[in-house]
Amino acid sequence: MSERMTETIKKEPSEIKGTVGQNGGVLLIRTLEKFLPFVAVIVLFIIFSLTARNFFTIRSILSLALQTSAITIMGIGVTFAIITGGIDLSIGSVIALTGTVAVMVARAGVPIWTSMIVGVGVGSVCGLLNGLMITKLKLPPFIATLGMMMIARGVALTITNAAAYPAPEGFGGLGNGTILGTGQKFPGIPIPVLIMIAVAIIFAFILTKTRIGRYTFAVGSNEEAARLSGIKIKQVKHVAYIISGSLAGLVGIILASRMVTSQPNSASGYELNAIAAAVIGGTSLMGGVGTVGGTVVGSFIIGILTVGLTMAGANYYMQQIVIGLVVVGAVAIDQLRARK
Amino acid sequence: MTTQEVILEVENVSKGFPGVKALDCVSFDLRKGEVHALVGENGAGKSTLMKILSGVYQPDSGTIRYKGKEVIFSDVTQASKAGIGIIYQELNLIPHLSVAANIFIGREPLTPFGMLDENKMNADAVAALNKLHIHLDPKTILNKLPISKQQMVEIAKAISTDSEVLIMDEPTSALTESEIDELFTVIHTLRDRGVSIIYISHRLEELKHIVDRISIFRDGHSVSTDNFDAIDSFEIVNRMVGRKLENLFPPKQNVPTTEKLLEVRNIVRKGILHHISFDLYKGEILGIAGLMGAGRSELARAIFGADPVDSGDVVLNGYKVSIKSPPDAIKAGIAYLSENRKEEGLAVKMQLSANITMANVQEISRRFGVLSRSREIEATQQYVKKLLIKTPSLYQVVNNLSGGNQQKVVLGKWLFCDSKILIFDEPTRGIDVSTKYAIYELIGALAQEGRGVIVISSDLPEILGLTDRILVLYEGNLTATLTTAKTTQEEVLNYAAGVATSDKRTAYKADQKQTHTQTRTQL
Repeated sequence: MSERMTETIKKEPSEIKGTVGQNGGVLLIRTLEKFLPFVAVIVLFIIFSLTARNFFTIRSILSLALQTSAITIMGIGVTFAIITGGIDLSIGSVIALTGTVAVMVARAGVPIWTSMIVGVGVGSVCGLLNGLMITKLKLPPFIATLGMMMIARGVALTITNAAAYPAPEGFGGLGNGTILGTGQKFPGIPIPVLIMIAVAIIFAFILTKTRIGRYTFAVGSNEEAARLSGIKIKQVKHVAYIISGSLAGLVGIILASRMVTSQPNSASGYELNAIAAAVIGGTSLMGGVGTVGGTVVGSFIIGILTVGLTMAGANYYMQQIVIGLVVVGAVAIDQLRARK
Repeated sequence: MTTQEVILEVENVSKGFPGVKALDCVSFDLRKGEVHALVGENGAGKSTLMKILSGVYQPDSGTIRYKGKEVIFSDVTQASKAGIGIIYQELNLIPHLSVAANIFIGREPLTPFGMLDENKMNADAVAALNKLHIHLDPKTILNKLPISKQQMVEIAKAISTDSEVLIMDEPTSALTESEIDELFTVIHTLRDRGVSIIYISHRLEELKHIVDRISIFRDGHSVSTDNFDAIDSFEIVNRMVGRKLENLFPPKQNVPTTEKLLEVRNIVRKGILHHISFDLYKGEILGIAGLMGAGRSELARAIFGADPVDSGDVVLNGYKVSIKSPPDAIKAGIAYLSENRKEEGLAVKMQLSANITMANVQEISRRFGVLSRSREIEATQQYVKKLLIKTPSLYQVVNNLSGGNQQKVVLGKWLFCDSKILIFDEPTRGIDVSTKYAIYELIGALAQEGRGVIVISSDLPEILGLTDRILVLYEGNLTATLTTAKTTQEEVLNYAAGVATSDKRTAYKADQKQTHTQTRTQL
């Protein structure tokens, strides 16, 4: 979020030069529009604080952040794939596979941390394979990652025989631990939330301040122009899908750790929520446009709606309808903005 | 044939967009059965007027009379029903459908059972094409046809709706010389049938073959309307730019040296390029001429590593280099400004600064690939100033810049790479006269600095006005290497059409020490 705001602020002075003479009001509206998703989060937050009891408590806010961390981290990863003009449908299944592998490896006697690194590594490999299918076999990203979605899920189910295995002692630390807790008063910040914050900051930096981030946009904005500018398209795509796969792997071990079991059926359909979060946050499925901050905000809009609607007494089906409307509405607003 | 009867009359029409007055009290009239040229620089308001006539925009004020009745078209369908058709520069056809399906799209003939009547559609398509004396199989899938034929399909489509007014926006920009002749024949046929044509073009020299009257627009105003015979080309250009433009080309700045910068040896790409060899000297501007499909862009792309080649060597400053991909070429100091700037040259959704630095991001990177904002701003500012890019800010999204400025951004990108060899592929296509002039000056300055410049162009006067030597390609073969000062448009065309061939090895050696005289072209 912070990255998105500083971006906006930094851009303004230069744009003022171009527009202030003509119309100051237009500029104000534009600025508001840029903040729209962020404003939406605040508005939602206020609404639920007023309508749902116990929504505005430290405990429920922390729980909201914890619940939203998985989709946020996934969403950041898939944002990279989407900005290159692709998509990654495999991340939900990769989560199940990486969590399962990490638990099985740990059960085999490998130290907990090593097994978790192995888990993330499996995610990276899945990402690399996606990238190779797209660049070497020239598959459309939709097809390549759809295949990977089925394969990863199938592998997870095969190696566990579709059963949930308990993880060894100590495996739950990552997902269930907190820091800075003071007992009753403040339950502490869950480690997954800290990881989410770190991932958001690191990947916002990579996307906006580094060469590979710049190349990611260039490839998504105009692949042929990027190629003729000497950018190694294939490498850029590989990196984007490896980021997507690795962050899914990270979510995989966090979720496995939280449940302290291998769940080969877990995270089914999560990929669509992550993609929805990116899209609500302004990432264009056409490629070339998107921010990490936007995806974080998008995830929180989905998260707040889910938690808030539950606490306000709306059932699961109702939540689905509302979130569906938000996805459609967010993109519709973007389209209207583009038309102006 | 031309009569005095006015079919379409525009009176004091204005149209504004936020921040711009695109049309300011413009008047214009079109007679039945005439070809009426509409010329003006980019931003003069030609396209806006055309969009009003075809129903895309509605005027803010003013009147339009069509066949004596006052009309305002609220959408394209209304305009086309009334008989006003428009053919855009970018064709509006569906590549995967057949010729007939494209001609009758949206109004397909049906059988009594509501099924598509393919037979009638194909027969009607043949009839529509025959009216234009074009022979095409109506069942051909469109994308199997060359652009010129696709354009004919577009014209047939417009004619089959009984258009009485046909607007053509830069119809020749993607056509070869012979295809242009074919188009002109069709235009003559249409005129003889009483169709009135508004013809928009940047290529003034082609107007003389077809145009009856000419209207000139500048900055949203209509400047003048004249019989084409009553006005000369220099006057047209002067009125377009609003000031005296003595010459279309700047005076020659560069003097080619005898020091070889680039030697290309026996480049072969099977079926496309056949054993092409040439040299490029320091400080030289070398033109590549040829018809569409002769392999001009392919040759450039082969040198640049954009397309794979089967064999051949590239020697730079006496050293053989291996160029397998664009990064290799860029490292070796070669730049390629591609033909289609939107498709291949720019990332239009990205900012000006990102586009300028795109091919040399290393230059603005610190350790670990972290970008330096200040170095990026510095670089961007430098080229915005040097190239006089008109932009409200360094972070303007390139899509919002005009065509000429976009082309300058592409130029800036390659200048930032400090390339020693620059290959310009159609550098002035679709660009207005004064930006063209600026680009010519820049090309001259680059050569003067001791760089080697290759200019590929379909515009022969441009090649003749700008270059020191000319390579002529025909069907992937190098048919001639000519000294610009000693050749003519006719000679180049003969080689380009494969009518004549020369011994390329002796041709240019003898001419190395020529002096350069400014080649003036009659527009």
